[in-house]
This record gives sequence, structure tokens and C-alpha cells, in this order.
Amino acid sequence: MPELTLENTAIVLDSTCDAPPGFFDRPGLFMVPLTVHFGDESFRDAIDLTHEQFYAKLEASDVLPTTSQPTVADFTAVFEQARATYEHVFSLHLSRKMSGTCGAAMKAAEAFDNVYVYDTKTVAAAMSLLAERLRTRLEPGCSLEEARAYIEHFIPGSRLLIHAATLEYLRRGGRIGRAASFVGGVFDIKPLLHVADGEVVGYAKVRGQKKALAAMERFLDETSKPNDKIYFALIDAMNDTEPAQMRELIERVRPNAECVLVTHVGAVVGTHIGPGSAAFAMIVE
Amino acid sequence: MSVRAGAVTVIEAALAAVEAERGVINDLNVYPVPDGDTGTNLALTVRAIVDELRLGDEDGVGAVAAAVTKGSLMGARGNSGVILSQIVRGICEVWGGSDALGAREFKLALSEGANAAYRAVKEPVEGTMLTVIREMAAAAQGVPDSLALDKMMVVVEEAGRVAVEKTTGQLAALQKAGVVDAGGYGLLVLYRGIVTGIMDLSASGTGLSAADVVLRGGGARAATAVEPSELSRYRYCTSLLIQGEAIDRDAFEVFLGPIGDSTLVVGDERLVKVHVHTDDPGAVLSEALKHGAIGEIEINDMHEQTRARDERLRAAPDAHGAVVVAVVVGDGNKRLFRELGCRAIVDGGQSMNPSAAQLLEAVEALAVDEVVLLPNNGNVVLTAEQAAGMSSRRIAVVPSTSIPAGLAAMVAFDPDADAVGNARVMEEALQGLRCAEITHAVRDSEVDGVEVRKGQAIGIVDGRLVAADDDLETVYARVLATFAADETEIVTVLTALNGSGTSVERLAEIAADAAPDLELHVHEGGQPLYPILASAE
Repeated sequence: MPELTLENTAIVLDSTCDAPPGFFDRPGLFMVPLTVHFGDESFRDAIDLTHEQFYAKLEASDVLPTTSQPTVADFTAVFEQARATYEHVFSLHLSRKMSGTCGAAMKAAEAFDNVYVYDTKTVAAAMSLLAERLRTRLEPGCSLEEARAYIEHFIPGSRLLIHAATLEYLRRGGRIGRAASFVGGVFDIKPLLHVADGEVVGYAKVRGQKKALAAMERFLDETSKPNDKIYFALIDAMNDTEPAQMRELIERVRPNAECVLVTHVGAVVGTHIGPGSAAFAMIVE
Repeated sequence: MSVRAGAVTVIEAALAAVEAERGVINDLNVYPVPDGDTGTNLALTVRAIVDELRLGDEDGVGAVAAAVTKGSLMGARGNSGVILSQIVRGICEVWGGSDALGAREFKLALSEGANAAYRAVKEPVEGTMLTVIREMAAAAQGVPDSLALDKMMVVVEEAGRVAVEKTTGQLAALQKAGVVDAGGYGLLVLYRGIVTGIMDLSASGTGLSAADVVLRGGGARAATAVEPSELSRYRYCTSLLIQGEAIDRDAFEVFLGPIGDSTLVVGDERLVKVHVHTDDPGAVLSEALKHGAIGEIEINDMHEQTRARDERLRAAPDAHGAVVVAVVVGDGNKRLFRELGCRAIVDGGQSMNPSAAQLLEAVEALAVDEVVLLPNNGNVVLTAEQAAGMSSRRIAVVPSTSIPAGLAAMVAFDPDADAVGNARVMEEALQGLRCAEITHAVRDSEVDGVEVRKGQAIGIVDGRLVAADDDLETVYARVLATFAADETEIVTVLTALNGSGTSVERLAEIAADAAPDLELHVHEGGQPLYPILASAE
């Protein structure tokens, strides 16, 4: 009898995983929202605002939105709910260098047995990708050690490459990390950024889509081999064209790559990344 | 040239020198309070002298020297600025009363400058700008009057440099931070600027002979981040000017004694500058009002300044990062290079190529080890490589052969990467880049099978003539068409359209017509000879 299965194990994510619609409708998946504030108005991420509504507000608002993390009580409530039905709970959260969310989850988890909290050291679709891949282990059933080992393989091994339309939002929100020197200015540079050790870091400064795709190909070459089995996720912030180009590129240079999910940036991540950006997350298994 | 105009030239040269080193001097500033503003204070004080000189027009050394003294006192900022104003006062007392400026007057002026500075400070501390001016004056006294002024200036500079270097060992605060004294170094920089100004004067035939003066420069190692600085005992640096009749400076100084330190009360009975570090600026202002009308009030929170300086030093690029030195012509182009992160620019361009020595000088003036050099002209690539071979720094030359190419390379520049790493990605950015120049033919000729008449607009793409026409816009459209035939995405255009008969709006219209799929970026470049420079990538 395997220890962990989809029937006895829940996965809790925070809303910055930017999961596609319907993702949390499945049993065993729970979401704790962060909050986005426009002046005095507050909205629960991924609940009160669709990403279209969010970007419409962002465009219309003369104050920049700010975001705030869930409270310990928010996590306690969700853990109680999850543990009422499920024996084990994996709680997976965005990098502690970007938000205090994971800290709140850890604090709340102290009062529970069998709640395992992880700092995924990444953000956005990379977290949904992790949950999805973890579920493929739970489906046939696996041991706790196997599930833990997969997460511990994913955290240092996953990649998130972002083609940012602008660094303005990251800079204003103070989440720019070591990519600060990549600010484009007058020259219309759209930088490629990636997340390394939980922080946003500059990868390349490029102008033009062709050069951006060439740099993405270089990134794939540096982080994987041609015949690797790759699972990836695509994500965009009001950018209709680039995810398809990314997908074409990844599937062309990595024939064994499999697209696991396609999604849009939500309000909290969107507050920091700005419209027009696109990204892909990947893991070599 | 009038004495006043001459004085403006010299002081402006001094101001330029201080401005250029302002950031370095600010960061050196740890004593008496690590508030990081000595460079700014010195620059503002010197600027006030220039402003005051420009206000009046009475000529003659007496009037001009009085204006210099007054300007420095009125505009004196911070501890170092007020002490500087007293050095200036001492020097001007001698200069204003003499008919000629020779070695004898120069010696006397310096020693009066040093004396005035020491008189202003109640408890003089060694290892500060006081020490530096005293050592400079002392060195001058040892030189015979028969020595030419230019030689004298070199001797004094040498003494100043040695004195500045020694300051580190004279004050515990400097030793701990591993820096020379900011005010002392600022004074040396200022002096070097004055010598440069006098050289400019002699070059313009005013009879002053200082043409041979070559200063060695150097003297300050950049300050680096250390543990958080200790905060000053008193919080507010307060300075103001009092104008009145029979102002009692001694009484005012006695009043300040118990409520602050770093106290300076200088001037005469009618115009007094006050500088003090205190927790009660209000009390200082109220007391000042009893003596006359107050103005030029300046109150700085030194605790905040100290934190800002610490922050600045921590945020400074780490030692592995490289800086870019580029050869650029045209004000707009220079601005673009700076905005993309280029640290130093050497003037250049077609028919005014810089020498290896000029490039070397620009590189050596930066306190960094890793440098990327962008020649931006085919004729300068070799010179740049020569300069790289002569320098002790790690210099990587990225062989950009035009301004647009240089900009494309700058786009890839990463200030956190070293010179070699940067050179690799910057050269990559040049691969596949196409560059165009549009200019006017200087003679009739036939080039690449195209007949060209003198004065016609010609378009050259990657060294090949692609169009010649009387109409610049026609040539431009053909260059764009050449670009569009390739897999081009972005075209960058650098303009210098004065008198060319076209406009930025027209260039955009033509591009929308001739190559609607291209993304066009037009920037005012300001380069000579070429109304349009362009690149396609």
C-alpha cells in the first residue's frame, strides 16, 4: 500500500501560482489568496478579479496597486479544512525573498501534524507546474520520501524565464532584486530575467523579438540537453502572441518537451511584472 | 583680457575640477561627521565665487579680489566650505594689494591663506584641509623667489599630494575607514583646477607663463563600504549668514560653545558666516537675529546624510563589475550612451580621432579595474587596442565601427559582469547588425557602379554605396528598403537634421511608407557631417 495518494494528500498553493481556470476545482487542491490593493479598495487575488479586470483597473487607476500576504489565520483556516479530509498536506509557496507568505504558512503549520511547507524559491506558473507534477506521483501513489524527494529536485532544478515588457513595475514594487541594472530606459530594451535562488536576476538585455527568442534558445541550451524530458508551463500578462512563440521554440529545440499548462498572470504577480510580459517555467525530469 | 574675466576663467576651471571629483570627495567624507557632502559643499562654495564675479563689472585686482572673498563667504557651505572661504580670504588679501602675481606674492598669499584658516578654527585638528594648506604654504616658502611661477605651482602641488596621503595616518576616523581626508583632497583637486585655469589663461596670451605645468594627478583611493558609520554627537549641520552693523563674532561664538561643535564664526563686523553642528538649530537662528538680518540658512540632518552615504557605498557596483568608456561625437549620442550606462566619453568621430594617450587618460581617471572600450569608428579600433595594451587595467576592446554599432553593443552591457564577459555579449550584439550612413558627397565620383555628383546625398550600408540622389529623403527611403529586404526587425536612426531639409516627422512617415513592418526608433544624435546614421537588427 503506498503511503500517499490523491485521495489522502492535499496540495495548498498561494494565489501567486497563477493557476489556469478550473485548476482548483479538482479535489485535493486548495488556494490561499494574497490581496491586491488599489488605494482603499482591496481584492482577493484570483477570486475577486479576473486578470482582464485587473489589467483594466491597472490601466485606469492613477494609484499603483500594492499587494499584501495572507495572514497566519488565513493559512490556519485552510489547513484545518484540508486536514479534515486529507491525511497529508503539501503547502507550496512563492520565494521568501519576494514575500512573507511562506513565513505565515510555516507559522500556521506549527499547530498541525503532517503539513509540509516549502519555499519553492520561484513564483507564478512554476508553482502550478510543481503541483501538477507532484500530482502525477500521487496518482499511482508514492511514499512520503518520494514526494519530498521530487519537491527537493524541483526547487533547485526548475527554471522560470521572463521576457519583461518593462521593469518599471518590478522596480516600483521593490521586487527587482539583482536585476536592477537591467532597467531599459529610452532604448526600449525588453530584458530577459530569470529567477535564481528565489530572486529575480537579469539574464540578457535584448531589443526585438528575434533576439529575445535567440536568447531564450541559449537559455534552453544552458539549462538542458536536447533529449531531456522537459515539462513546461507558459504564462503571459496581456501578451497574446509570445506564449505560442515560446512553445514553438521549446518544442522545436527539445523534442521531448511537454506543455503541462498555459495560464495568465494574476493580479498580485501582475502588479509586479506589468502588462505585455510573458514567461515560461520548466523542469527537467 | 580683464582681471575679472581672467579670474572667472581660473575659478571656473577650479569648479569644473571639483565637480568632476564631487562624488569621490563626498564618499571620502568621514570626518568630522560621515555625512558625505564635502564635495557638494566645496563645489557650491566655489560656484558662489563665480556667481559673485559675474554680478559686478568693476575691474582691477582690488575689486576683483574683494568680490572673490565676498562670494566665497556668502556661499560657503559646510565645514569645509567655510574653512575654504577663509583660505580664499587670506589669499585675496595679499593678491588684492599687489600689482603683479609672481613667485613672491604667491608664497605670501598661500601663507596668509593658511593663517586665516587656522585663525577661524578654534581647536585646529591635524589630518584635515588645514594640514594640507599649511603644508602647501610651507613648501612654497622653501622655494627661492627667483623660481618661475609655473615651477612653484608644481612644487606646491607635490607638497599638497604628499600632505593628503598622510592624512589617513593622522586621524583615527580616516585610518579606520581607510581613506584620505575629504576636505584635504578636495582642496588639492581645487588647486589643480586653478593651475589648469592659469594654464588656459597663459595659452590665451595674458602673459602668465605656466605652459609646462604637468600635474601628476591621483591621490585618493575611492571610499568603500564598511560597517555602518557612527552617528554624529549633534544632529543638525546649521549654517547661515548674518548681515548687520558691528556684529560681535566673539560673543556669538561664546553662545554656540555649549550647544554644539565644529563651530566656525567668520567674516567681519558687517557680514558673518556661521557654521555649527547642533541639536537646536532654532536657538542658533534666534540668537543670530539679535545680531542682524539672517540669510542663506542651511540646515542638514547629518544622521540622515550619514545613512544615505552608507547606503550609497553599499550599493556601489562591486569590484568585479566593468565600466564602459566610449568614443562618441554628438550631444544626443553622448546622452544615449550615458543613459545606457556608459561611464566615460571621449570626444571623437570622423576626422577627429582621439589618440591612444587620450583614451588611456580617460580609462586611468576611473577608479576601476575592469573596462570595456568602445571605439565606435573603424579608424579608432587600432588606437583603442593600443591604449588597452598600455594600461594596467583589464581592458576589453569591443570593435564597434560606428556610433549605431556602439549603441547596439551598449544595449547588451551588464554592469555586474566583468570586462571580458561583457565584451563577449557585446560583440555578439554586433553580429548581424547592419549599419548605414547618410551624408553628402564631397566630390564627383563613381562608387560601386553608382555615379555620384558633388553635394548629392549618398547612402552607405555596411561600407557599400546603395543610393545617391539630390534628395536626402529619397536616399533615406532606399536605405530603409535595403534594411527591409533583410530579416530586419528594428531600425534605430540617429539624426542631425539641422539644415537638411527634412524632419523627424518626415523620417517616420517615409519609414511607415517604405518599410511598414519595421519598428523605427529615432533619436536626436547631433553628430557632424552625417544627417542620418542608422542601424538595423
